[in-house]
Amino acid sequence: MPILGNDILRSWMDRIRKLGLRSLWLTSSPREESVDGSGLDGSAQAEFARQGVERLLVIQLKAYAEMDLADLLLFHCESRNPVTEAEDARGQLGVCLRDHLALHAKGEQYAFASAPPDRGQTPYQFRGYAKRILSARERQELVGDGLTGACAMRPLGTEIRDQVWVGEGANLADSARVIGPTYIGARTIVHAGATIGPFASVEHDCVVDCGTTVERSTILPHTYLAPGLLIRHQLVDGGYLEDLSWGAVADLRPAGLGRRIQRRESRRQAFHETDVLSRAGRASTRHFAASSTASQPWLRIEL
Amino acid sequence: MMTTPWIILPFPCGSDFPDRRGLRKDLLIALRVSGSPVIVDFSSCGTLNHEDIDLLLECVAQAAGRDTKVLFVAGSRVNRVLLEVTRISSLVPVFNSVREALAYPQIAAENDAKVLRASQFQKPGSA
Repeated sequence: MPILGNDILRSWMDRIRKLGLRSLWLTSSPREESVDGSGLDGSAQAEFARQGVERLLVIQLKAYAEMDLADLLLFHCESRNPVTEAEDARGQLGVCLRDHLALHAKGEQYAFASAPPDRGQTPYQFRGYAKRILSARERQELVGDGLTGACAMRPLGTEIRDQVWVGEGANLADSARVIGPTYIGARTIVHAGATIGPFASVEHDCVVDCGTTVERSTILPHTYLAPGLLIRHQLVDGGYLEDLSWGAVADLRPAGLGRRIQRRESRRQAFHETDVLSRAGRASTRHFAASSTASQPWLRIEL
Repeated sequence: MMTTPWIILPFPCGSDFPDRRGLRKDLLIALRVSGSPVIVDFSSCGTLNHEDIDLLLECVAQAAGRDTKVLFVAGSRVNRVLLEVTRISSLVPVFNSVREALAYPQIAAENDAKVLRASQFQKPGSA
C-alpha cells in the first residue's frame, strides 16, 4: 500500500541498489507461523544454504526506516555475528543479515525441530527515522512526517500550494477545500464541497463525494467515500474504516458509506505497468522450495 | 406516584428486526409528543445499515425544533464510529450504555427539576 504515493518496497529497493546489488528476491508470507524473526521459513533458508549463499539480507516490509544498509553490513562484519537484527528503541525493524553458518543452522533447525533458536546476538541499534507501517497509527504519523518534511519521504506529486501535493490526473472541484499539509493521489476525484486536510492523505484512484471531510486521516487506493461524511483520525481501506483513537474497525458497506472501487483509468494504468515490466523481462517467478511450508512463489527482481 | 421522567426505547435495527415497523412508529411518536427525554438504545445492534442510519437521521429531525431531548446509546465502539462518520454524534449526545445516558447532566438536571416541581405541587395538598 502506498504512503503519500510512495512505494515502500521501492524505497527499500533503492537502498539495496546503493549496496551495489543487482537483483533481489521477493515473496509473501501469508501465514505468520511459517516465518521466524527473519521473515523466512526454515525451508527457504535451507535452500539458500544449499545454493551456497554466503550472506543473506532479509527485509520484511513492516517498517519504513531510513537505514544505511552499508552501515548495517559493516556492523555485521565487525561484530562477527552469524545473525544481525536491526532494532530501534521499539524493537525489531524486520531487517536482518544472516551468514551462511546461520543459514545452515536454520536449515538444520527446520529439519530437526529440536535445534535451538538464534540467541545472544548483538543487534544493530538503528537511531535514524523509522516507523512501522503495519500499525495504522504509526502509518498516519509517517504521513504527517512526510507532509511536514520531518522524514526524507516526500509526497509523489506536484506541490500546487505550500504543503499541498496533488498527483497526476487528480480532479478537484472548484468548491472543494484543500487545507495543507495534504496529499491527493493520482486520478483521485474530490467532489464539490468536500474538505481535504489538514494532515490528510487520499491515495490514488479514490473518489471523495460531495461535502465529505477528510482530516488527519489516510484513504487507501481505490476507495469511494459517500457524501457528507466526517473522516477524522481514521484510516479507510475500501469498505473498512479503522479508528486510530479507539482501534475499532467498522464496515462501511452495509450503511453505504464507503466501498472499494476499480476505476477504468486505473485499470488501464495497471495493465500498462504490468506490460512494461514483462516486456523488459525484469521479473521472473519460481517456486523456491518444494516444501509445503514454502509454497509461496519467489519473484526475482533485477535492480 | 411520580412517573419516570425519561423514555427508553429499543432501536429497531436491521430489516429483520421483529415488528420493526411498529417500533419505528412508537419511536417517532415518542419523539414528536413526549416532553420527556428519549433515550434510543441500539446497543443490541451489531452494525448499522443504511436503513438504520436513515431512521436515526429521522429521529434527529423529529426532535429538532421541539423540546424533546434525544440521546443515543451506541453500545459498541463500531456503532459509535459510524455515528461519528455520519456526523450524527455532532447532533445528538451518544453514550456507551443506558446507565451512562441516565447520568448525563441535562437529564439529571431535568429529573431534579421534575422532582422539585412535583414536591412543590404536592405541598399545598399535603398541608
